[in-house]
Amino acid sequence: MTTVAVTGKGGTGKTLVSALLIHFISKKSNKVLAVDADPDSNLADALGVEVEKTLGEIRELFQTSRDEMGTMNKEQWLEGKIYEAICECKGYDLLVMGRPEGEGCYCFANSLLRGVLKKLTRHYEYVVIDSEAGLEHFSRKTIDSADYVLIVTDMSKKGLATAKRIKELTKELKLNFKDMMLIANRIANEAAEQRIKKFADEEGIKLLEILPYDEKVVELDLKGIPIVNLDEKSGVYRRMSKVAEVFLKG
Amino acid sequence: MVERKKIEIPAGAKVKVSVGAEEKFPFDISPMYEGERIRKEDMFVELGGPKQVKFELVLALPAEQVEDMKVTLVGPDLDEMQEGKEYPYAMIYYIAGSKVETDLEPVIERRNHDFQNYIEGYMHLNQRYDVWVRIGKGAIKKGLKSLIQIAKATMMLYKNELPFIEKIEALYITDKALVEKLLKEVAMPIYEERDKRVEMLHDEDVQEFYSCTLCQSFAPTNVCVVSPDRPSLCGAISWFDGRAAAKVDPEGPNRAIPKGEVLDPIGGEYSGVNEFAKQESGGEYERIKLHSFFEFPHTSCGCFEVIGFYMPEVDGIGWVHRGYASPAPNGLTFSTMAGQTGGGKQVVGFLGIGINYFRSKKFIQADGGWYRVVWMPKELKERVSKYIPDDIRDKIATEENAKTLDELKEFLKKVDHPVVKGVVRKVDGKKITEGWPEEKKAEEKVEEKKEVPATPAAAQPAPAMAMPMQPTQMPAFQLPAMPMPAPQAAPAGIKLVIKDAKITIGKIVVKKSKGES
Repeated sequence: MTTVAVTGKGGTGKTLVSALLIHFISKKSNKVLAVDADPDSNLADALGVEVEKTLGEIRELFQTSRDEMGTMNKEQWLEGKIYEAICECKGYDLLVMGRPEGEGCYCFANSLLRGVLKKLTRHYEYVVIDSEAGLEHFSRKTIDSADYVLIVTDMSKKGLATAKRIKELTKELKLNFKDMMLIANRIANEAAEQRIKKFADEEGIKLLEILPYDEKVVELDLKGIPIVNLDEKSGVYRRMSKVAEVFLKG
Repeated sequence: MVERKKIEIPAGAKVKVSVGAEEKFPFDISPMYEGERIRKEDMFVELGGPKQVKFELVLALPAEQVEDMKVTLVGPDLDEMQEGKEYPYAMIYYIAGSKVETDLEPVIERRNHDFQNYIEGYMHLNQRYDVWVRIGKGAIKKGLKSLIQIAKATMMLYKNELPFIEKIEALYITDKALVEKLLKEVAMPIYEERDKRVEMLHDEDVQEFYSCTLCQSFAPTNVCVVSPDRPSLCGAISWFDGRAAAKVDPEGPNRAIPKGEVLDPIGGEYSGVNEFAKQESGGEYERIKLHSFFEFPHTSCGCFEVIGFYMPEVDGIGWVHRGYASPAPNGLTFSTMAGQTGGGKQVVGFLGIGINYFRSKKFIQADGGWYRVVWMPKELKERVSKYIPDDIRDKIATEENAKTLDELKEFLKKVDHPVVKGVVRKVDGKKITEGWPEEKKAEEKVEEKKEVPATPAAAQPAPAMAMPMQPTQMPAFQLPAMPMPAPQAAPAGIKLVIKDAKITIGKIVVKKSKGES
């Protein structure tokens, strides 16, 4: 199993990178799990699929119905609901984590969730996680670990600052990943390219790919068309296909 | 109890029978296949699941009625099924053995989930009337031909893993009408019977309780003791959950606590629990009484759903749940009280509980149970209303009846709540409180309320405090029924433990010193 966590500041193109990665990897493998772990983004929209239930909703349902479960096994109950919530898309499965928990105690629910997700994810060849910059699911251990952390940033100050912070955070959380890499998005000119290379050098993060500013992406965004429908000749599409190759080789 | 007997197969049904252990299986069997999701695209057929009628059931029978390693399949087998379709599914196991009892049926039934998931290319999810099975195309390619092979593999695992099962027989059904009929007539009544057992099972019926230390990261000295009559404070873990978890991971967060000797049957004190508490709290606590509010109460983690608080002014106990944001009659909110009590402390006067502890027949029974309860928010009261004894239900105030101590006093007097004249605890008929001292005093206080509404008792003129405190002579901590000034916050920083003491007190007045506010 290869787990790739895609993260970065909201709006930098994190979900675009996640969706295209899933798109390319699922062409080569039929055991791909996509995880939307960012309540603010919408990976399902980017992939052009519909999701009926999120893990967060199931957790809430568990909290409200657990007192009426009698002698039923709660772990198996939760497991069944999660498997039902997983969206079976063409070529990959999609699990949406949804909203963070409400008030009250979630120790038990989360402990069960961790167990179920651990058993579930190990059967996939590839797990691609679209994660918010705070890496909350990693800190709570609802998601066990990642082999690769992909940080997406544009040239904005905030994007770069977030990239830096994520690097620190992964250290704090002791995520034992194999590699951390940077993808720069919306790089419009040579000067910007030089600047991002310098940033990567200074921070000691491998710069995996530079995605150009792409009118076609903007167009899809405006029209609300799923990003996986991106023109195959576009620069972003071709470069992301190269990125996917890196992980497909393992 | 629903009678356990073999299921009659209707005459003329399409039946396939096979007896004896299988030599070889066309699939791997290993725990590594647990959690394997068979995707729709890779699926040969779906059995049960969201679209079909289905169930699984284990029945304990006398040995002579069970034919070992026999499988009967009623309805179409895999080779008669169409790829990509869903079918009804029932899996019934008859088991026998000298140690096999009806009580064990649900435990054994749950293992069907584990064992079937060990089978490569076979996905089993859920339980009871929700089972959801998928068989992968890959399994068919590798040579899986019949559900009989699945049943035989499962039975083999049952006998290997649970050696007390001496004989096992399986009945698998894919015939829709028969699955429907048996679900309604046989399986459902048995599931209902099991769930009723949750309420029928008591602390004295079991040998072991279970611990929960899941939240020790927040409350390092907290030890949840989960017994049939006392669920965890967070409300999530019942004795059955504890047992299930302890079976899977005996060294995990839920461990078995041998009960040991009964030290106090009413308070719920057990030598085994005390030992465990001492160990797990790092020596912080030596005794825990499961059903006591005042004496060695259970520790409170911080996750609890409801907090109970003693109000000396009325000599009664109030309860407030996490969702109620306004102050309780004692002037404190849930979060203020929780902050004082949480963190795994044993705080006399406050107690964190799970909402389903209100269902317990032993609910704070040492201190009068429901007859000592004087106040709870309406929302909470409605939620647990059916568990409140009829003769006390209307005497428990909500925020609609009383928001302050004075309003509460008025209400309790009006409805003649047991705390007014003294509470007799139901469990042994012992009168445990004396009732309110003099009616007159209570009335005086009502008048003064207008001036100092928050702490009326504090404003009351009282003789200088003379407390003949002789720590060596007091009976185990019993809060006397007396007008005590309402503290601004929960008792902070002082722990009073008085052991083997006997004190005779005519009157106690506790007065706030003038400097404090």
